[in-house]
Amino acid sequence: MNGPNKDNDILNDRYHIISYVNMGGMQYVYRAHDKVLGKDVALKTPKNNSAQKRFKRSAVVSAKVNHPNIAKTLDYFEVGEQQYLVEEFIDGIDLGQILSTKYKYMDPYLVAKTLHYLAKGIAAAHHVNVVHRDLKPSNVMVSDTVNISGLKITDFGIARMADEELAEAAEGVESTITTSQTAVGALPYMAPEAITTPRKVSVQADIWSIGAMTYELLVGAKPFGVGLPAVAKILEAKKPDFPSFLNQNPQFNSLCTSLIAIILSCLDKDPNKRPTADQLVDACGNICYPLTSREIGIVNDIRYKAWGFITVNGKDVFFNFNSVYGEKPDVGDQVLLAQYPGYGAWRAHPVIKIT
Amino acid sequence: MSKISARYVSDGTSAKGGFGDVTFCQDSNLERKVAIKFIQDPLQINRLKDELAALLQMRSKHVVQVYDLIQCENGNFGIVEEFIEGDDLWQHTNPTSINNYLLTIWQIASGVTDIHEAGLIHRDIKLNNIKIDPEKIIKIYDFGLSRTEGINAKTIGFNGTHYFAAPELYSNGHVTFTQSIDTYAFGISALLLAGEKVLHQSLCSFPPTQSPNGLFSHLPLSIPLELANLLETCLLVNPSNRPLMRDVRDMIKKLILKDSHQALAVFKQTTSLINSTNRSASISFGNIGKLDISYDGLDFTATPVFGEVYLNNALITSKTFLPGSCVIAIGSTELKARDRAFITFDISNPEVTI
Repeated sequence: MNGPNKDNDILNDRYHIISYVNMGGMQYVYRAHDKVLGKDVALKTPKNNSAQKRFKRSAVVSAKVNHPNIAKTLDYFEVGEQQYLVEEFIDGIDLGQILSTKYKYMDPYLVAKTLHYLAKGIAAAHHVNVVHRDLKPSNVMVSDTVNISGLKITDFGIARMADEELAEAAEGVESTITTSQTAVGALPYMAPEAITTPRKVSVQADIWSIGAMTYELLVGAKPFGVGLPAVAKILEAKKPDFPSFLNQNPQFNSLCTSLIAIILSCLDKDPNKRPTADQLVDACGNICYPLTSREIGIVNDIRYKAWGFITVNGKDVFFNFNSVYGEKPDVGDQVLLAQYPGYGAWRAHPVIKIT
Repeated sequence: MSKISARYVSDGTSAKGGFGDVTFCQDSNLERKVAIKFIQDPLQINRLKDELAALLQMRSKHVVQVYDLIQCENGNFGIVEEFIEGDDLWQHTNPTSINNYLLTIWQIASGVTDIHEAGLIHRDIKLNNIKIDPEKIIKIYDFGLSRTEGINAKTIGFNGTHYFAAPELYSNGHVTFTQSIDTYAFGISALLLAGEKVLHQSLCSFPPTQSPNGLFSHLPLSIPLELANLLETCLLVNPSNRPLMRDVRDMIKKLILKDSHQALAVFKQTTSLINSTNRSASISFGNIGKLDISYDGLDFTATPVFGEVYLNNALITSKTFLPGSCVIAIGSTELKARDRAFITFDISNPEVTI
């Protein structure tokens, strides 16, 4: 079901629905053209009665947060019983889709950049006492999947409603938390206190979620797994393991070590021991990461299992296995890389295999 | 309290804007404050529409967001904009440090560049029209949308605008607007934000005349000379000699990032860092070859001392800039790989964080 509206519906004499985008745990999302401002917007409307109760309130809350890394709340209106929230439209995909369809993990430079943007956006929310409560990769939109630029955290308001469902799920029998659609998506990123005392979560729960997301971006797996087994692990808050490929290569070791320290500080069981969002922004400012733009290429040759060439836009680019983060690619594999001038062929660094 | 519409309720405060009065209202739907700018002359509305459309579609983190356009019961046409908390830049004319100054003018230059790259001209850049929000993000507002030829009597009536208006705006008869009027106004803004208390008399005549050299470099703030010189060119009388805002933005960025780069050199599994506290390194490989690496705060360079030194496979014979990531090889390509040394070199070039 695609929600209460269909293509070409015009709402409030202003929003012309172009297409149904998707369905979150609590809401339907459409892409619409705003006839007044002359640009496309994201139109969101609650799925059911329980969501409806809190929809207006969530819109008001999300409208309080103003930052380049937060999707801007533009409008709220009602048509009969149906409520609508209008948000800045981000022409891109969410981090959850990127992790499930493009890259299992990112190179540490891109992870550092992503973490920095997430921290900045969340810091702005915390400055106005807004807690997201439902931070997860599918709530982070990016407009450029190769360079992770134009990053915006979305669904602030919705998180407040999700919170209610999450609280009910957490307070209920264990099966609820694995059957509630909202809870299933959020669980791997939920702080221990969000499970034990769901109605008392504070800003520090967002910091935990940032730590859990950053772990997944760097490692390619969720720090505590998924489903019911994850609940026990999260409650215990045992420090997750980091695979050896993070530190094997001296070129990535220094940055990975800094990132691991930040992730572990966010995943502290004691909420008060986690860094604040501002401290997280500062910590990111102190780690150095290059911002060269990324491209996609295909490995066309590998010699001695040590080096080879990648075709990028019809041109050969040299790469050494030392520049590969994570799994080594084979001939024919797609890779994501940055390239630098060189004699004979340009040189790629870093390189990651695309799934 | 008056009702502008069922949705927007005036909070009783207002301000004078470039082309109309601004009324501050509460948006009862989203329970937030907004600024509604009313266009005084209804005859202008149609003429403004095309340009307004371009403005509405523009995306910049440094330009205020427009939420809505409304037609009031009395026929007035209003532009509903986000309300920015915080002081305008007149409250920031005593710079606390060169870094804060650079961050401020870099953001203004970025916003003006965004405006210019969207094909627009702001026309009323001045300290009154720029705010720093609580997240320390610069927001430019109050576009001077009026296309009146010559000088708009309403804008000139406002005290500050005289000094921000470029010389060509004072010419008689037909006045052609170009983006460089914003560059001029940016230059004056940058001068005031740098702590200049009294503008040089050449900038206070109407029209302003050529100002003497050293306007920026003599200030106690110690603006780096290359930037001081570039900012000075923003105030040139001939509009076509003023720089592009994009170039101004990029130079400020370069200076903000000065001394914050870091390079990681890996040689035989050992790593060494070269940065502002450790600006140089010498790498030698037996009697095969040697090179020096140095960092001047902006760039990293490699200089061969003896032997053959290759940079990403290309032989270098003199001081050479190092790209963001490279492999330096010591020893002739004729030698076997085990008789050569390979050093990987990666530069981290951080982004300006605001």
